[in-house]
Amino acid sequence: MLNTSQAKPRVCILRTDGTNCDQETAYAFNKTGGESRLVHVNQLRSGAEKLSDYQILAVPGGFSYGDDIHSGKVLSVELASFLNDQLCRFVDDGKLVLGICNGFQVLVRTGLLPWGELGTIQATLMENDSGHFECRWTNLLVEQNNCVFTQGLAGNEVQYQAAHGEGKFYTDEVTIEKIEHSGQVVFRYASTTTGQPTQDYPQNPNGSLHAIAGICDKTGRVLGLMPHPERFVEAFHHPNWRRVSLGEPHGLPLFRNAVAYAAQTGAGC
Amino acid sequence: MAIQEVRVQTVPYLEDIKGKYLLHEIKDTLHINSITGLVTAKVYRLEGISAHQAEFLARRLLAEEVFQNYTVNEPIIKDAGKLVEVAYKPGVMNPEAGSILKAAADLGITEMVAADSSYEYGFYGNLTDTDTELILTRLLVNETVEKVVTEKPATLIIKGQPGGIRVIPIRNMDDAALLKLSKDNLFLNLEEMQAIQNYYINQDRDPTDCEIETLAQTWSEHCGHKTFKATVLLDGKAKKPLYQRLWESTNQAAHPLVLSAFEDDSGVMHFYDGLALCGKVETHNSPSAIEPYGGAMTGSGGVFRDIMGTGTGAKVIASTDMFCFAPPDLPDDEVPPGCLHPHYLLRRVVDGVRDYGNRMGIPTNNGSVHFHRDFRAKPSVIVGAYGLIPAADAGKRRPVSGDLAVAIGGRTGRDGIHGATFSSGEMTSRTMDVNASAVQIGHAIEEKRMSDALLRAREEKLIRAITDCGAGGFASAFGEMGEDTGVRIYLDRAPLKYQGLAPWEIWVSESQERMGLAVPPEHIERLAAICREHNVEVTVIGEFTGTGNLELFYHDELVGELTMEFLHHGLPRRVMAAVPREHQVQLIEPDYPRDWEQACMQVMQHLNVCSKEPILRMYDHGVQGSSALPPFAGVAGNAPNDAVIIAPVPGQKYGAVIAHGLNPVLNAIDSYAGSIWAATEAVANAVASGANPDELMLIDNFIWPYPDEASMYDLDRAVDACVDFVQATGMPFISGKDSLSSTYRAQDGSVLKIPPVLCISCFGRVADVTQTVSTDFKRPGSVIALVGHREVQQMGGSSYFDITDAASPQVPVIAPDRLITTLRCLYQANHSGKVLACHDISEGGLLAALTEMCLGGGMGASIEVPAGERADYYLFNETAGCFLVELDELTQAGELFKDMPYIILGSTTAEPNISVTQDNNILFNIATAKLFTAWQKTMQEVFGGC
Repeated sequence: MLNTSQAKPRVCILRTDGTNCDQETAYAFNKTGGESRLVHVNQLRSGAEKLSDYQILAVPGGFSYGDDIHSGKVLSVELASFLNDQLCRFVDDGKLVLGICNGFQVLVRTGLLPWGELGTIQATLMENDSGHFECRWTNLLVEQNNCVFTQGLAGNEVQYQAAHGEGKFYTDEVTIEKIEHSGQVVFRYASTTTGQPTQDYPQNPNGSLHAIAGICDKTGRVLGLMPHPERFVEAFHHPNWRRVSLGEPHGLPLFRNAVAYAAQTGAGC
Repeated sequence: MAIQEVRVQTVPYLEDIKGKYLLHEIKDTLHINSITGLVTAKVYRLEGISAHQAEFLARRLLAEEVFQNYTVNEPIIKDAGKLVEVAYKPGVMNPEAGSILKAAADLGITEMVAADSSYEYGFYGNLTDTDTELILTRLLVNETVEKVVTEKPATLIIKGQPGGIRVIPIRNMDDAALLKLSKDNLFLNLEEMQAIQNYYINQDRDPTDCEIETLAQTWSEHCGHKTFKATVLLDGKAKKPLYQRLWESTNQAAHPLVLSAFEDDSGVMHFYDGLALCGKVETHNSPSAIEPYGGAMTGSGGVFRDIMGTGTGAKVIASTDMFCFAPPDLPDDEVPPGCLHPHYLLRRVVDGVRDYGNRMGIPTNNGSVHFHRDFRAKPSVIVGAYGLIPAADAGKRRPVSGDLAVAIGGRTGRDGIHGATFSSGEMTSRTMDVNASAVQIGHAIEEKRMSDALLRAREEKLIRAITDCGAGGFASAFGEMGEDTGVRIYLDRAPLKYQGLAPWEIWVSESQERMGLAVPPEHIERLAAICREHNVEVTVIGEFTGTGNLELFYHDELVGELTMEFLHHGLPRRVMAAVPREHQVQLIEPDYPRDWEQACMQVMQHLNVCSKEPILRMYDHGVQGSSALPPFAGVAGNAPNDAVIIAPVPGQKYGAVIAHGLNPVLNAIDSYAGSIWAATEAVANAVASGANPDELMLIDNFIWPYPDEASMYDLDRAVDACVDFVQATGMPFISGKDSLSSTYRAQDGSVLKIPPVLCISCFGRVADVTQTVSTDFKRPGSVIALVGHREVQQMGGSSYFDITDAASPQVPVIAPDRLITTLRCLYQANHSGKVLACHDISEGGLLAALTEMCLGGGMGASIEVPAGERADYYLFNETAGCFLVELDELTQAGELFKDMPYIILGSTTAEPNISVTQDNNILFNIATAKLFTAWQKTMQEVFGGC
């Protein structure tokens, strides 16, 4: 139980030029018992803020530095250049990292996903097969694995909105097999009729390999996904709440799992 | 310094997505089929570093081995039949350049002095020179901002010596010389030029270029709204100025929720919990006509800054876009000289709105597109923005003597010079050449970080006053802010993008992403610290004085001085004559349909009826996590709702509703009725979704041909319609804008008047978003009722008459006093929770509304047309303010709508068919799938599938 504000796990919502899903991500963590703080990357670079003061790091959606060169690239370079040690220590300390949309792109481009090797890029998020930005609700199948964020959700279908132009997960055959073999796929785009993973547009909105919408690292503590769980934390966020009953808003369990895990482990604080 | 070139392309075994879609577009829109393949590559030019360093950057920054190849200082597309590189022209800001420099520095390469990026296109197959030219001019290169690169540039740095100060000998000019001075740059009329001349005769000196430019932009139609402030002369009688009539009607309405009307950068209404909502809608027609991508981007950026410049700064929470174009399949030879093809315009405008709104993190969730052949010379591009602000921080703020004049955001360049005066002029075949400098590319991230910093500064109460540097740039922003006090500006202190700007250019430049602030001196340090943390540049460029004068300095030299009195009150008030034009639309009625299915399909696929979903899918309409009624929903997510509702304060159930209405076709036939229709459509959309009509505010946007006597008459009628609407409904206008340059003058002197557009936007507050209504039918067997009054023979301007080549002077006439009663009743019904679905009737009529409701519900409907009615009129009449309502039970209709005009039409069905009967005869029974396909395919053909 989280009775006092001191007990609330602290969440660092990382911001920089062009970040734009920071406030709703902060709200999602706060609603599930976390204590979020919006931290500009400049505050980490200057030392005014330290990652070690937090138990969860969230890299939210948006267009960091305009997604110039590649989506999330310029922020990835900045993190790998200036915050390499802090980030490594954060992950090694058993803390949690969540990257949503642009944040997922950043985690992949820093190398934190899939293998936790900063500076080594093993996968990528390419331009959507449709050739343009897509904003639509997606149906996702949650895989069974050790991902902290999705405990208790395995086998469920959840609906999150996707909104991106570069979300096609792609890597070479060896890497994809390794990711699959080690159970690191967390979310797959799934057909609303069969519930099975799909390559069909638009239910798979970008043409991702193996219908991958999100992956975690081997520890299950670093998660990246393209669709936006923070956009479904109130019942009325769903486009069809007036016609179907969907139970608890599908984004909430993901944040609650993270907060509960951080509270239990109390890692590092 | 040496420039290194890095080229990056997708590895050959993966699809080149950019190339693939470009090739499709070449085949689909230009019908060039001789190209067998198309590959693209990105080119980076990096100045001041070694080849070795370029190699390092290619590996670590520019290319990703997982899916890309690169070369350094070597071609990468080697075997193409034709290779073309397209880049921004020098001086057009490439937003990516700054990121390349930053990331290189983060990687330890600090020697780079400049960077640029561009694209190469390699064509395979038999491409003739004519084909190449067509592809370049129609699809790849907009010569206003882009060029084909034929050789490696020697440097990327723009150098130049600033021009000196010119004195314009205005006192000695005769009328012809005055008009010559005005032409192409100032767009002032003779009387206005003479007023300026007289001022300088009294001053006993001639003006500097800075002064003339200041007057030109402050007195431009765009900034000065001369027509709206003019006395209107009708039938020999003087009528009050249009603007005065509008704000007087607002005052008379005395709506308790109005917080600030017509005085600030946006209109503001009370929200909940001490918060306020603000709204502003702008047009960006002229720039979008010549460079649609940049024009639409900077239109969005500008209207967002209007919200950011409200009170001491609001947060933007939604964005809207309303466009009017010629049909995308317009034959090439019907595009007037100097104008761009509507297919290109539409796609590029959408790209611009998409890229600015998405990158700013603002949901673009309400909009529409309208088509008419007469928009072929110039589109109407309307962009709106809505914001949230503590009520205590709202209301127009004025600087105090001693406050610092502060520029924040982007740097000043030569781009956008003369935008204000250019927007006020007619479009001609020369516009593209002469006014190219008035257009620029927006930099959304610059604006986003500025917005982040400004919201912090507002919270810390550091800002006395703030305004957007929009049209007219610093001249408009500081000239206006300093009206009461006077202001002194040191132009040399403004940060520049590159050297070489003359003082007057700095003063009137419309470089984007800049705002002007008045900051008490004791707060400047803290403001600077916040800006540093957000990577935002902030500069003190002057101070608010107490002299009542505008004083401009450049390196200690006084380069301009004007009294604020003359600048703001010296403009002679115009008297504008209004004379009705002789135009009679003859009644041509269509034959009764022999093939109902074909008639229905044709209406559904009509450009003004069809689904605009492919556009919406490219806008991030869910960012900020506030959606409570999205633009499209229903079983398959592809059925439109009437309005958008957002809950912008996390954790709270109260929300904001946003909707709009416009109908240029009706406005062209009957300005008064068309204007009432637009207002009705706007508020009907909001109320259909569950909003309370007594808590709605209105925003007007008049986009009108140059006001000759006939257009002035129509404009006068449109304003009277607005005023009558306010008086009858109590809903006030609290913000508005006019753009009176929808006229195209060809080289031979012939004139094309673009259809007049009155776009009415509406926004309001909703106490509980969970008590709102969507359009999708909820279950089979429900009752379908039609609520509202209409005369179905009023078919003028309808899509049905368009497809049948019919015409009628009788357009839908709506009585606002009857409307408000219907709206209040519908609100109560929606609020009761008994309404399962509700959809307003608009373009396409009852049948289109019914089809959309069926699509959303994944079901069908069976309805009956009352005996004696002409069934095609009944189904396709487009009277706004009428609604289809889904109810659980028959008895509820009488209970909910007892005093209203209503009729039970039929019921929803599980079978996915729409069946219509009359007098016990089946008129038709069509599979809904056929109607959906027709309705969806029109825009899919323009934008690709969704």
